[in-house]
Amino acid sequence: MREASLVDGHEPAGRSASGHRSVPHTADLRIEAWAPTAEGCIGELVHALVGSFADLADARIVGERGCTVLAASDPDLLAGVLEEVVYRMDVDGELPVAVAVGPIEGLDGARRVTVRFRMADAATAALVGAVPKAVSLHDLDLSAGPDGWTCRVTVDV
Amino acid sequence: MSEVEIALVGAGRYRWRIEPRPPMRVPGVVFANDALLPQAAGDKALEQVANVATLPGIVRASYAMPDVHWGYGFPIGGVAATDVERGGVVSPGGVGFDISCGVRLLAAGVSRDELDPERIGRLMDLLDRTVPRGLGRGGLWQLSGPEELDELLLGGARYAVDHGHGVPRDLERCEDRGVLAGAAPGEVSTRAVERGLQQVGSLGSANHFLEVQAVDRVHDARTAAAFGLRPGQVCVMIHCGSRGLGHQICTDHVRTMDRELHRHGIELPDRQLACTPVDSPRGRAYLGAMTAAANYGRANRQLLSEAARRAFATALGVGLELVYDVSHNLAKLETHEVDGEPRTLCVHRKGATRALPPGDPDLPADLAEAGQPVLVPGTMGTASYVMVGLPGNEAFRSACHGAGRVLSRHQALRTVRGERLKGELEARGIAVRPASWRALAEETPQAYKDVDAVAAVTEAAGLARQVARLVPLGVCKG
Repeated sequence: MREASLVDGHEPAGRSASGHRSVPHTADLRIEAWAPTAEGCIGELVHALVGSFADLADARIVGERGCTVLAASDPDLLAGVLEEVVYRMDVDGELPVAVAVGPIEGLDGARRVTVRFRMADAATAALVGAVPKAVSLHDLDLSAGPDGWTCRVTVDV
Repeated sequence: MSEVEIALVGAGRYRWRIEPRPPMRVPGVVFANDALLPQAAGDKALEQVANVATLPGIVRASYAMPDVHWGYGFPIGGVAATDVERGGVVSPGGVGFDISCGVRLLAAGVSRDELDPERIGRLMDLLDRTVPRGLGRGGLWQLSGPEELDELLLGGARYAVDHGHGVPRDLERCEDRGVLAGAAPGEVSTRAVERGLQQVGSLGSANHFLEVQAVDRVHDARTAAAFGLRPGQVCVMIHCGSRGLGHQICTDHVRTMDRELHRHGIELPDRQLACTPVDSPRGRAYLGAMTAAANYGRANRQLLSEAARRAFATALGVGLELVYDVSHNLAKLETHEVDGEPRTLCVHRKGATRALPPGDPDLPADLAEAGQPVLVPGTMGTASYVMVGLPGNEAFRSACHGAGRVLSRHQALRTVRGERLKGELEARGIAVRPASWRALAEETPQAYKDVDAVAAVTEAAGLARQVARLVPLGVCKG
């Protein structure tokens, strides 16, 4: 599994092997990420999503959580992992400070990935932006290119 | 259609047309002046108007209100009606994630000139402490469990009033008397229930707010009086929706419809437009779940009204009377005349407000002569409008729902810091209580179109008429 720290995450000054950035969208949050692997891309987007609205630098860690996400395609798998983050925030009041993703597996024509989150108490996070509530399918992408994997998503806030 | 260049042709006063080219089934129609047209490089709002015109069963046109801006799937400020008996579809994306997001306006028994900054500050401090918003602060109403949530999903604002959270007159001034018939809690997923259980009576974040306002100008004294508004009157405007429950319902049903499109032979230019025939088990399931979320949204605003009433009673010793409560993210089955015959249509309003004209039978008795209040929140630094529905509205009796964003949140953050914005607003006598500095800056008035122009064009295009202009005195931002 690849683990990405979600604390103190920033877009690198130059285009490094992996990273993320937000791109303009008038109403909501549109974010892109890149990484050598699909799993790394998903981890980067979790990083970007959480960093867009919560500062977890001083948040209280509450434990490790795991889940398995199933979907029809790699882009839908990406959406499913982000939806898991939003769901756990709303229901359990927890946000991931770190995430370990993968590996993605094929399963009877579907895609499956196991994700582990190191969770913090959302009540101890500092709010720094609009809170995400859902992941849209508009222009959703996770695909391989000549320089590794890229992904993009539009998140309702 | 992502690479298609959208050509707008002038087609009347403040009315533009996008000619139908395959796979569009009807034209696009945009109500705007030059300044209000989406213009930013990369802005896809007009392309989205054209994309909506491809939906099976769509009639007349894919409409965009003067506040139209770039959404996902549908544009925000979009209206589309499909003919139910002729294969018309329902698209959850045409309602939006925040099902029944809407606006409620209450009028206070006090005038602006009776308040000084200290009294307003005390009121805003109280609202700041008692209105849940932002991240993880729960809701005002702790429901006993999923069974009670089911009751609320069936009963909407009426359920809240029946349990002491408001007065019966409130329901007379809510769209559909506060409860939309046909809710199907059984079509609401466990995840949606879990998200909704803890959030009844909470604002949320982003562009949601509770604002204390004053009537700055009355354009139509007779209609304003029928609504319960007079010059100088203090008001409360609440903008919020169905919270995590509505978002989860939309997510669940979009995913299912996206997987089943091939069964209906439907091809779409954007996956977020996923849809299914209204007259199908899946279509009925979505409408039942959507209606449940709509009732949740109305109960949510009812609870927030109660919090506002307590704060006004404590800080100022005055009450609040409901002017109106109306959704701007909803699909409704309505009868409209198409090609000379009455048809049952599924009217999607995504960031658009229903605008019933005077005399409509759905209006409460005391508004029958005046028409339906159309509530148009602007920004925390400019103004908001109360308008009224007009006869002859070609967009299935729909009007704008706000100012409409022009800047991304990222761009907004580059224009001003939250601390500075608060200082600027307070220097103008607007008390600001933000949930976070960055969230405040993201909502800077500069991020929006000119709401005065939006209201003027909405009137000139024959969609709704201006009744009163309201200005902010204090803002609780989500």
